[in-house]
Amino acid sequence: MKRPLTSSALCAAVAVLALATGPARAAPASDMPPFGADKPLPPLKVVRQTLPNGLQLWVLPRNGPPRVDALLVLRGAGNAADAADRPGQAGLLAEMLSEGTQQRDARALAEAVQALGGNLGAAAAADGMLLSANALASKAEALLKLLAEVARQPSFPEKEVALVRENALQSLKAAQATPGFRADGALQRAIFGDHPYGRTQPTEASINATTAEGLRAEHARRFRPDRALLIVAGRVTPAQVQGWVRAAFGDWKAQGDALPEPPAPAASATPQRLLLERPGSVQATVRLGRPGAPARTPDYVALRLASTVLGGGFTSRINLNLREEKGYTYGASAGARSFRQGGSIVGGADVRNEVTGAALQEFVAEYRRIGSELVPADELTLNKRYLAGTTLLGIQQQAGLVGTLARNWLIGLPPGFLGEFVPRLQRVGAEQVRAMGAKYFAPETQSIVVVGDKAAVAEQLKAFGDFVTPTK
Amino acid sequence: MRFFSLILSALLPLAAAAADDWPIPIEVRKLDNGLTVVVSPDRSAPVVGVSLVYHVGMRLEPRGRTGFAHLFEHLMFQGTPKAPKGVFDKVTSGAGGWNNGSTRPDFTNYIEAVPVAGLETMLWLEADRMKTLDFNPETLKNQQDVVKEEIRVNVKNSPYGGFMWIDINQLAFDKWENNHDGYGSFEDLDRASLDDVRSFHRDFYGPNNAVLSIAGDVTPARAFALAQKYFGGIPKRAVPPRTDFSEALLETPRRLTQPDALAQVPALAAGWRMPDRGSPDQAPMAVLGELLTGGNASTLYQGLVKGREIALGIEGLYGLTSPWEYAGPTLFTVFAMYKPNSNADAVLAAMDEEIAKIAKAGPDTAALQRVKTRMLADWYNGLEGFVERADTLARLQTLWGDAGVARRIPQWIAAVSAADVQRVAARYLAPQRRAAIDRQPQPAAPIAPPAAASGAKP
Repeated sequence: MKRPLTSSALCAAVAVLALATGPARAAPASDMPPFGADKPLPPLKVVRQTLPNGLQLWVLPRNGPPRVDALLVLRGAGNAADAADRPGQAGLLAEMLSEGTQQRDARALAEAVQALGGNLGAAAAADGMLLSANALASKAEALLKLLAEVARQPSFPEKEVALVRENALQSLKAAQATPGFRADGALQRAIFGDHPYGRTQPTEASINATTAEGLRAEHARRFRPDRALLIVAGRVTPAQVQGWVRAAFGDWKAQGDALPEPPAPAASATPQRLLLERPGSVQATVRLGRPGAPARTPDYVALRLASTVLGGGFTSRINLNLREEKGYTYGASAGARSFRQGGSIVGGADVRNEVTGAALQEFVAEYRRIGSELVPADELTLNKRYLAGTTLLGIQQQAGLVGTLARNWLIGLPPGFLGEFVPRLQRVGAEQVRAMGAKYFAPETQSIVVVGDKAAVAEQLKAFGDFVTPTK
Repeated sequence: MRFFSLILSALLPLAAAAADDWPIPIEVRKLDNGLTVVVSPDRSAPVVGVSLVYHVGMRLEPRGRTGFAHLFEHLMFQGTPKAPKGVFDKVTSGAGGWNNGSTRPDFTNYIEAVPVAGLETMLWLEADRMKTLDFNPETLKNQQDVVKEEIRVNVKNSPYGGFMWIDINQLAFDKWENNHDGYGSFEDLDRASLDDVRSFHRDFYGPNNAVLSIAGDVTPARAFALAQKYFGGIPKRAVPPRTDFSEALLETPRRLTQPDALAQVPALAAGWRMPDRGSPDQAPMAVLGELLTGGNASTLYQGLVKGREIALGIEGLYGLTSPWEYAGPTLFTVFAMYKPNSNADAVLAAMDEEIAKIAKAGPDTAALQRVKTRMLADWYNGLEGFVERADTLARLQTLWGDAGVARRIPQWIAAVSAADVQRVAARYLAPQRRAAIDRQPQPAAPIAPPAAASGAKP
């Protein structure tokens, strides 16, 4: 039975994303032409609606390529809902969704998606799960039906669960052979401690504990319309999409109470010094990190700008210093990651063994400088323009636009945030950037994780504290 | 272009509905100095993508200088007399955009994505570095260091070390142009001199050896005028004759086992030589590759990950590019990590069985239709981003002499028949045509660090 929709469609323009952040000159050469006048982005039309079951629907009609994108965001279904003894469970749940539904086995499902000229997959994030799907424009209705089938009626067949478990154990082994995976895992624990935001990587035990029955229970607990947003974009009309969504999702009902929000993670953590052994490693994988800030904080925009100046993009201080001046690394970065309840500050680079200490010294110096000196006006303007421009570039493509809106919603930013971002960015001053530097990048507050050959790097690390080597 | 006229005259109706057509506009003009300019206007967002593709890559780098084409690509960002080191990147960021470059066997590309206000400035910068570079010993040394770190992070310190594109070429090809390591040895990289940099720039980086492509919020008239304004005055330069690096298909299989000091899970790469670019077999081979390795519905995924349950995943590669973007001997490669309780023989036998089914009876008709539908969608998806579109058009113009190929590829895909797929499976993917490398985890040495490089470069 189809149910009527409650609210009338309201047309919420996501405002104009103007680029202008003041004039920028970067031309020492006399005949290099200056930048032209900034052009505003045409207003984005988002038709928003809420179904009686609580499912939010945003439709973005666009006249681009013959493609439709549908992204179902399930708030609270991500890693933050994983139990302490089941780290990484959200990822396995996401993977299992496409391994069969009540109507189709895994192969039939894969073939159905292929026949639409599309893709359909799920991924876990800290604050939720994202089911993303796309297809040729003419197949939009069929795509939404398939998406609903996968989201609502996964069957978790025993045989497929066993295979996913077996392959996940091998994939974990393969991942552990890469230094970045090990460094990231150790750093997450140093930053978040026991908070569920740190539970992004599965363990052998958590994989082995995965059962079809457990997955079914988790699916029932985590997937509910009153915590979900569906965004559809492409060569479609809002009325068409609303009808298809009503048919496919209208009778979806929540079971039981919604999961509670995870608590906020601690705002600070005791800095750790960890050296993870990797005999024979020809590089040291260096990471620094500490707790950061949630998206819904007055610091958010200024912190993103500070992150950009310090360690975002090719022309950040960290990259220009470690790569373009010193030649220590192929690439170095640093910056803030913000979630719904908290965040992290993460920086790092992979450097040849003999410059491990020297590279860390540069990180420390740049972290200190961003919190103690004002960023010069030219550099601040350049970084504002970079951040505004790459935001614009990031939404040129349909999937980028949909993904940006979805992630903003998931971490708790208001729907109009995309339109407010650049004007707010323009108002950030050098003093605020320095304050963000002092608050979040103080080197004394950072944990340091190094994965590498102990014999080659341990001596160089002594200047940065007493490094401990965890015994597995 | 020799072969495709036949296929074009026998177009089949497109698989998908007419609503799924997307004839992107493409205009091409050649300047007097030989620079080809491609424009694809699209006003849906106030941004542009720019790609400058030079018709030189790893195959044509100097002997004794492995990795030089890639090192040179890095040096293109290291400054000129007019725009010293740092300017190119800072101006790109100040324009609100990003840039990148990459080196492939047959070309090297330089791309920028910027809000449209930055277009003219980016064109000035591209023209400036086409004229000359700041041939500077300090930036050379700096980028030799950076490139070595790139090789460490992607090869020497990484499980599998890129063997599915580096080592497999060494095994599968006989001519130096095709089989040497395009990342390069540290010895060769260290030997690179400023004279090498000057010669390479002079010989291969002139306007007549390049394609400039712009997609996005610009009219063709303005784009051509800007190209003329900034590039029109650059004189054409003599380009050295290209060597003959063609190679025939393998007649006997090749096989190698390599130890890997870093990997924990065994892996296999099997490569088969592709048809020549422009051959009537190229589109069928592209469809066959997708049928075998494109996603979870593919034959090899269903046969090896599911079914026999011996592989962890299946990945199909076409050298470092795509089934449409090469101009010399190139492998279709299947990469698969496999389970420790299986072995390379079993994985190869399973691949051969799945391929033999297609070679013997042709593909399943419904499967063929699905695959073609997805390839059509994927082709359009790849042209949605302005910088990706500009780059694809520049690559096709460089390799095919015709950016319009971008509009014909959907038709070529639609025209591929079951018999075509059957024919190319039998001809190109027969067991005797195959080169395979089995990568075996090697227990880490307990005390003395083994040279990790020995795993990557046996």
